[in-house]
Amino acid sequence: MAGTIAADTLTHSTAGSLGTQFVVNGSAKAWVNFNGTGTLAVRNSLNTSSVTDNSTGNYSQAYTNSFSAADYSICATVADNSGVNAQWTYESVSTSGFNYLTADDAGSGYTWTDYASNSATIHGDLA
Amino acid sequence: MQTPSFKGTHLFDRLCWAKESLNPVQSDIRIVFEDAVDECAKILVPDLNWVAAAEAGGVLPPVESYWALAEDEAKPDFVKHTRGYLLHDTEPVGPMTEDSGPYGGWVNYLIMKDISPSIWQTWDEGNRPKMVICRKEQLPQTREWRNAWRISDDLNLAA
Repeated sequence: MAGTIAADTLTHSTAGSLGTQFVVNGSAKAWVNFNGTGTLAVRNSLNTSSVTDNSTGNYSQAYTNSFSAADYSICATVADNSGVNAQWTYESVSTSGFNYLTADDAGSGYTWTDYASNSATIHGDLA
Repeated sequence: MQTPSFKGTHLFDRLCWAKESLNPVQSDIRIVFEDAVDECAKILVPDLNWVAAAEAGGVLPPVESYWALAEDEAKPDFVKHTRGYLLHDTEPVGPMTEDSGPYGGWVNYLIMKDISPSIWQTWDEGNRPKMVICRKEQLPQTREWRNAWRISDDLNLAA
């Protein structure tokens, strides 16, 4: 590709060196930010082909470039403007996507809930 | 913008180029489908950067590459993909609109990529359709009773 710089090491003038494999391996390979309320809308993303609204508080993210194995790392957030009860978890992880679940933990049990601000960042090895 | 010749370029690099170079396309197409009798209808929303790449052409791999990887992953002894090159080295798909170009358009491509074949291969073989392509404004605008949504018998919903 035009503009390519091939290098195995980045060296700072005073702070030492860093192998570029740290940059490659440590960068997020997929992310998404979406509004789960009303009719779901994706705000922005990388390496995402679609988000499916499965039911209240249950969504699937599909990747364009699959991961090599289903052992990658998922970090997600959900924002609740009304308090601190919003929780998230995930299930059904495959190399091509995963299910993202959001719930309201009001103290007496979880209730699946849609939130306006949801985001997920995925680190791992691509296929 | 003209897509560079990307054959042999890692798909992730192509996606990064597309995100940096193309304007996102926020489509109002929605694909509503039912994949279990006891579950509510699901709504697939195309990603805005993916649609931009699909419409530009020369970025996305053939959908058959995804099918091959899905076959590998379905095997009981699957640990990790060894045929990722199918995503990177296969000739990228040309420009698509919603309903024209390779695969009959990017809506068909996306259905065949992100929805189970058990749904899209037999969407109209039951007593009523289990998949519908529609516009965002045709969906119920309220989340009330969300977990009970079913596909309407009215096929006029099809876009």
